[in-house]
Amino acid sequence: MLGKIKWANIYLWFVFILLYLPIFFLIIYSFNAGDVMQGWSGFSWKHYGELFADTRIIEIVVNTFLIAILSSLLASVIGTAGALYIYNLKQPLAKNVLLSLNNVLLVSPDVIIGASFLILFTVLGFSLGFTSVLLSHIAFSIPIVVLMVLPRLQEMNQSLVASAKDLGANNWQMLSRVVLPVISPGILAGFFMAFTYSLDDFAVTFFVTGNGFSTLSVEVYSRARQGVSLEINALSAMMFIVSLLMVIAYYIISTRAAKNKKRGAQMMLAATEGL
Amino acid sequence: MMSKRKQQRQLFYLVPYGAWLLLFVIAPLVLLLFQSLTTQDGHFTLANYAIYFGSGTYLLMTFNSVWYAFLITLITLVISYPMAYLLNQLKRKQFWLLLIILPTWINLLLKTYAFIGLLSKSGTVNNFLGLWGIVPQQLLFSNWSFLLVAAYIEIPFMILPIFNSLAEIDPRLAQASRDLGANKWQTLWRVTMPLSMSGVKAGIQAVFIPSLSLFMITRLIGGNRVITLGTAIEEHFLVTQNWRLGSTIGVILIVAMVITMILTRDRGRQSSRKRG
Amino acid sequence: MNLRAFLDTIVLLTKSEGWELTNTSTPIIEFKNVGLSYDDNEVLKNIDLALEAGKFYTLLGPSGSGKTTILNLISGQLTPTRGDILFEGDVINDVPVEKRHMNTVFQDYGLFPNMNVFDNVAFGPSIKGMSKADIKNKVTEMLELVKLTAYADREINELSGGQKQRVAIARALANDPEVLLLDEPLSALDYKLRKEMQYELREIQQRLGITFVFVTHDQEEALAMSDWIYVMNDGVVQQNGSPEDIYDEPINHFVADFIGESNILDGVMKADYLVHFTGKDFENVDAGMRPNEQVEVVLRPEDLDLTSVENGKLVVTIDDQSFRGDYYEITAIDDDGNEWQVQATNKSTIGERVGLTFDPEDIHIMRFNESEDDFDARLESYEDDSDDVKA
Repeated sequence: MLGKIKWANIYLWFVFILLYLPIFFLIIYSFNAGDVMQGWSGFSWKHYGELFADTRIIEIVVNTFLIAILSSLLASVIGTAGALYIYNLKQPLAKNVLLSLNNVLLVSPDVIIGASFLILFTVLGFSLGFTSVLLSHIAFSIPIVVLMVLPRLQEMNQSLVASAKDLGANNWQMLSRVVLPVISPGILAGFFMAFTYSLDDFAVTFFVTGNGFSTLSVEVYSRARQGVSLEINALSAMMFIVSLLMVIAYYIISTRAAKNKKRGAQMMLAATEGL
Repeated sequence: MMSKRKQQRQLFYLVPYGAWLLLFVIAPLVLLLFQSLTTQDGHFTLANYAIYFGSGTYLLMTFNSVWYAFLITLITLVISYPMAYLLNQLKRKQFWLLLIILPTWINLLLKTYAFIGLLSKSGTVNNFLGLWGIVPQQLLFSNWSFLLVAAYIEIPFMILPIFNSLAEIDPRLAQASRDLGANKWQTLWRVTMPLSMSGVKAGIQAVFIPSLSLFMITRLIGGNRVITLGTAIEEHFLVTQNWRLGSTIGVILIVAMVITMILTRDRGRQSSRKRG
Repeated sequence: MNLRAFLDTIVLLTKSEGWELTNTSTPIIEFKNVGLSYDDNEVLKNIDLALEAGKFYTLLGPSGSGKTTILNLISGQLTPTRGDILFEGDVINDVPVEKRHMNTVFQDYGLFPNMNVFDNVAFGPSIKGMSKADIKNKVTEMLELVKLTAYADREINELSGGQKQRVAIARALANDPEVLLLDEPLSALDYKLRKEMQYELREIQQRLGITFVFVTHDQEEALAMSDWIYVMNDGVVQQNGSPEDIYDEPINHFVADFIGESNILDGVMKADYLVHFTGKDFENVDAGMRPNEQVEVVLRPEDLDLTSVENGKLVVTIDDQSFRGDYYEITAIDDDGNEWQVQATNKSTIGERVGLTFDPEDIHIMRFNESEDDFDARLESYEDDSDDVKA
């Protein structure tokens, strides 16, 4: 019995180490005094210095976060509207058709999304750059928000809506005072998921970015092909800290919103499942 | 009958969402299909499909892509199922699950980039092997390194749905199985595994489809030794600028995706559980 | 006299003499000073049980009383932190669940949703490695027993609650257990179905002659079905006995209150056969207590009768009444302000003053902090007395 439990623990540790090894490898080498991810030449902050002196990479990081914030905000608005529309539909057929269409971008490989958006922008005569990247990120984030908000609407107490109507609330009052407060945890979850999707995206951005504009993923891709620079490691370490803080923030917010730990993690699961 | 007030409201919601659906869901797909079926001057043609199906290289590439996606899926499944099962037995499983999710929040490119350092000829893995007197190997730019990194990237997406489906199983069912005389392994085989199939299917879906279309890892890690459908599309769109053939391969990839989804569809319980 | 007749006479004699056969045969399940603690939380305290083969036992108590914990200890889902659990005389503390000769009918059935009715029932036999034909025979036999023969091919989610219940029973019995454990199996069923299943379960138990251990919080169910009841509260067995014993002679306030409806009043035993409560003395049938010992007095609503003020032992004012089909449930208040529940056959008028009467043997006396052994000894002494009287 004891032996079995030990084997289980060894396996758990093995997988966890496997998952975190590359990440910690990156972070450790960001402190290497040498210039390559090979051999250890002593501890140094110098790559962090290089990173902060590199105006191009800082501009790209700013761009990346700007795209992420703008796209997830706009996707939250449009996605919430979409969820409300789907929720209000009466015919099950129309509902199912819309839900399937909604999920197309979630299940599509990102190469397809990127290639087809590239065709779209070209056909429309849209020049590639900040706007095309922003629009693409909004586009692939909307279905995530819809999927996060819809269950909240379905869970919403029907008598709440009926009584608001009974008390004479108009459309706008109903939405702002009754519906939105109830579904706000879902919107928040959707916003967070959209934000991280945007930060993490490489393939779609790669297709629609054009020459002048770059996000972090695309920049790392082109630099990695030229040869590794430990500046990127310093950036990775900082991104890891940001991700860690975001996970913690998201976890706290979602568990508090759901008032129930299990739900919170499930929300996160549902979101990540769609990747 | 819908009241006027309700119609107004629905219209208000539909305008932004509907615009998105038309512009970014339907139009791109139609355009992709259109590109694959037309000539330069807009006439209908099946020539692109003829090229694709007539070329041994493309067919072999497709077969390879499916084969590697299958291998990646298999490797992640074999690693992930026991992991999801063991995680589910832990006391503070939500916390441990969070640790599984955390790496997925780190930029994909950064993780891939780490493997370049780990696997390169004078990299950490070779140094480590050197301690046992093994001569440094070219680990990077091999089929194995491609499989390793792709599986690494996909493991959390396999663990999560399986964990979810395992967590949903009423613990009383395992108790009942033990009560009826089944030991731990018989319970796992006859009760727990069949009941977690929906999660396994979801995991296969979540891993197999992206694996078909990987192109970044094939370039950075696989050194273009493995050409996937994704790599071919990227090459046609961004390098050779042959969008029509690229779109054709895109349509093939969509068809492959649809087939995968049909094969891994969760028949019995579709209505009872969507997501989360 | 031939030998056979001689033996029969002896058997008859032993029975009529009330000899305790239990002492000579080993109990099928025995708890010796069993306790269970989680961290610092004591869930069960020093439980002693001895269950005889072939009887219908009920563990009765409110939720959190420890009754299901006992069931899980018997089945092996839990291991005791103190004491020993014995099966046919052997300690089985460390025997894993699947190796015990008992099966469980779970509260929410625990049926495998990925298998149909047949496969659910066949699960145990197939684990045992029985042949296909034997399995089929066994399943058919079990489905006949629970009257579900026509449902073998149904999926679990196509069944009603009552049918699921029957499948769960058939599945547990298909393993030929020596003890069947039932964890609140009827609690999810509606009233009528529950009544029906109570009767059927009892019948199945008698037909198979195996031991049933039934857990419930429903005292009516316990009284209707059991040979022997253990009343649980706070992780302690409060009282055990036949349904009649427990109903008629509750050992303490908890049992009196939990089993049936009771009027419980503070009183004083002035002397043997004389109890004082609500400011009056009443003749009763209890004896052997200290003079002027403080006690609690229990009077069951159905033992009370309403009569004219002159004929009543007490005078009460009708406060409220509700019609219950076969009787009127009446709340009345006496001159001391005590509230009385009475079941009366005739309708009363609210505000009316009436007499309340009862027989001496309907007054049940409960001593404070009396142990179960002392209580049993006291009850036995009354029985001896009454035997003397008859003799």
